[in-house]
Amino acid sequence: MRKALRPGALALLLIAACAPVGSGGYGSNASAGGAKEVSFLVFETPNLTPDYWDTAIKRVTDAHPDIKVKKIVAPSAGERTAYAKQLLASGQLPDVMQAVAPSGFAESGHLYAWSEKELAAYQYPGSNPLGGKIYQLPYNTQPTPLVYYNKKLFARAGITDPPRTYAELLATAAKLKAKDINPFVVGGGGKDAFAAAYPWIALVGADVYRERPDFLVRRRAGEARFSDPLFVRATQKLADLVKKGYIDKAGLSRDYPSTEKAFLDGKGAMYPMGSWFAASVDAKELPFGIGVFAWPTDDGTTVVPAYTGGGPIVNAHAKNLEAAKTFALAFNQNTANNDVLVKTDAAIIAIKGYRPPTMGPVYQDTLKVLRSGKVVNAFTVETGDDALLPGMSDKVFAIAQQIVAGKTDGAQAAELLDQEWAKAGGR
Amino acid sequence: MTLIDRTSPDTRSPGRETPEVPPRARARRPGRWSYPLVFASPGLLVYVCFVLAPILLAFGYSLTNADLFHPDAEFIGAHNYTTLLSDDAFLRSLRVTTTLTLIIVVLPNVGGIAVALLLDRPSRLYKALRSVFFVPVVLSSVVVSVVWMALLSDDGLINTLLRGLGATSPPGWLSDPDLALCTIGFVISWQMLGFCSVVYLAGLQGVPKELLESAAIDGAGPWLRFRTVTWPMLAPAMTLNTVMLLITGFKAYDHVQVLTAGGPGLGTTSTIAFDVIQTGFTENRTGLSSAMAILMLVIVAVVSSLVLQLLKRREVDL
Repeated sequence: MRKALRPGALALLLIAACAPVGSGGYGSNASAGGAKEVSFLVFETPNLTPDYWDTAIKRVTDAHPDIKVKKIVAPSAGERTAYAKQLLASGQLPDVMQAVAPSGFAESGHLYAWSEKELAAYQYPGSNPLGGKIYQLPYNTQPTPLVYYNKKLFARAGITDPPRTYAELLATAAKLKAKDINPFVVGGGGKDAFAAAYPWIALVGADVYRERPDFLVRRRAGEARFSDPLFVRATQKLADLVKKGYIDKAGLSRDYPSTEKAFLDGKGAMYPMGSWFAASVDAKELPFGIGVFAWPTDDGTTVVPAYTGGGPIVNAHAKNLEAAKTFALAFNQNTANNDVLVKTDAAIIAIKGYRPPTMGPVYQDTLKVLRSGKVVNAFTVETGDDALLPGMSDKVFAIAQQIVAGKTDGAQAAELLDQEWAKAGGR
Repeated sequence: MTLIDRTSPDTRSPGRETPEVPPRARARRPGRWSYPLVFASPGLLVYVCFVLAPILLAFGYSLTNADLFHPDAEFIGAHNYTTLLSDDAFLRSLRVTTTLTLIIVVLPNVGGIAVALLLDRPSRLYKALRSVFFVPVVLSSVVVSVVWMALLSDDGLINTLLRGLGATSPPGWLSDPDLALCTIGFVISWQMLGFCSVVYLAGLQGVPKELLESAAIDGAGPWLRFRTVTWPMLAPAMTLNTVMLLITGFKAYDHVQVLTAGGPGLGTTSTIAFDVIQTGFTENRTGLSSAMAILMLVIVAVVSSLVLQLLKRREVDL
């Protein structure tokens, strides 16, 4: 009996010893045919569909048959950075990650820093530096947000031109409200809490960053606080919009796609949203026209909060680092890929010499607004040395929800931000 | 076989000395636990690798200032625990988790008994209905949450119906910070209702018909029969349901993530399980999130054992 059990026990031990434990997972391997495998973390949105990614990857692998790509999809667009951290914690950090915030990964030595030569093709090669180095390819500029508006609802309220000053914006909202039209569609439900913060991001850009472009750098140094009057005043403007009933609290029950649908269904006249929204509009036949303007400042100066980055980051410890770098650059600079990205996500490609395909009127108007104003950082979207501390952007989104729910005013929100900043380890 | 022959008293001749057992042979003798250990080893191995080791690792991390990006951390003793016990955000999460657990323990238990009593009939229709009530239990929590989110959003079916009935300002089920937690509690309760119903149905099958008949002969009406015969006999089912629901409540994560992501607002629906993930993977504070997880483990273990003992006592009294 014992002798019979001995091989069984030995087999069990062998099985246990051979079981894959820990590392492995998404690591790169040389695959059949000698092609080098590169794992690639992507995320899906209503614009960036599974088909978009598959086709875009195939274009690059067709041009580089020595590279084989293993696609990994993040659970949701908003969770892609947290997901990358989970993969890192389990020893499975992908080789290439699309639009994942490099902060934290870079400082701890997990990312490859691009050389000047590799960045030469980009219009803004110095975007979002971390300790003087660039880890994310700066290939796409996204105004975040602009205000898209329903021309038909504006006309119904007797509004002929979009507002240029903040006072005009308030007057516009009042006219819309008087006609029983919801002035602003703001979302932010479920996992898409970020959508609640767009009006706040716009206000911080227009009122705070315009005055103090280095506000967050100073905040990091302990030389500025969210409870400074400038920031409080900007935040109170959002609270006042809510108080006046110009922002529909019901939006907090809608996730991001439902919020977009609500605006396209005519459930509100103005929609503060990133430039990628232009793609969904131009692709649809709507019963009304859509215009766009920058969130107005007090004196009418045009200020556009925008972010240039969003490209791939590369795992410095990728098994096939050269293949990973080649893939990231090729994916990023492939003209056909960028043409599709422009069409599907209204990307404003920041690569020298790139000419976008013919696009619809909302995309063209978006470009005009971007070029007409002073560009400042987009609050919460920054990824360089001027970024919020890790975890803070989620707190901003949660506090934005509180303001939109009418539970918090500007001063309270700023105070909460300072408290959360201290908890996150900031000065 | 040879070992047994050598040591067996039957083989010894009277008056002769017992031959010495060679030390090597003695070492080979199977111990009392050898066979059970070999048979249990696959399960033990899985348990040690996937349950015990992670718990011990998490406990180890909880005593350090480990950061997701800097795993080589310093030992800081119980600092994370003292920080948490005086941290408003953690105490708020504890309150949220407790409230949610209370809702989740009460609603499906009450609803489960009601549904079980309704379905405790022999016809095929009722048997089919039992499956219908059980369907949500086997569905993924994420799927259930996505469906309910669509129903509960301001443009969803429920508020559209309410508007149709004349409500001018229907509730913001998920957007009102004062209501969102109850809504999540309701959704989880809805999903767990089928489980409780099936357990109570099984309990009802075990109630002796003679007892019910004799109570009826003694003049007991339906309510008295339920209170004095059925209800006490359902004690084991209630124990099982309550403990399962307690654990479900304390580890609620996926419904929260999909329906509200801990909001609306700062932590209004943020459970401890949700906070563990946020702290670990968004704020990068691995040590602190490990301490949260360990505290949650202790709380769940203590509360579950207490409730189990309390409810078991009721069973013993039967």
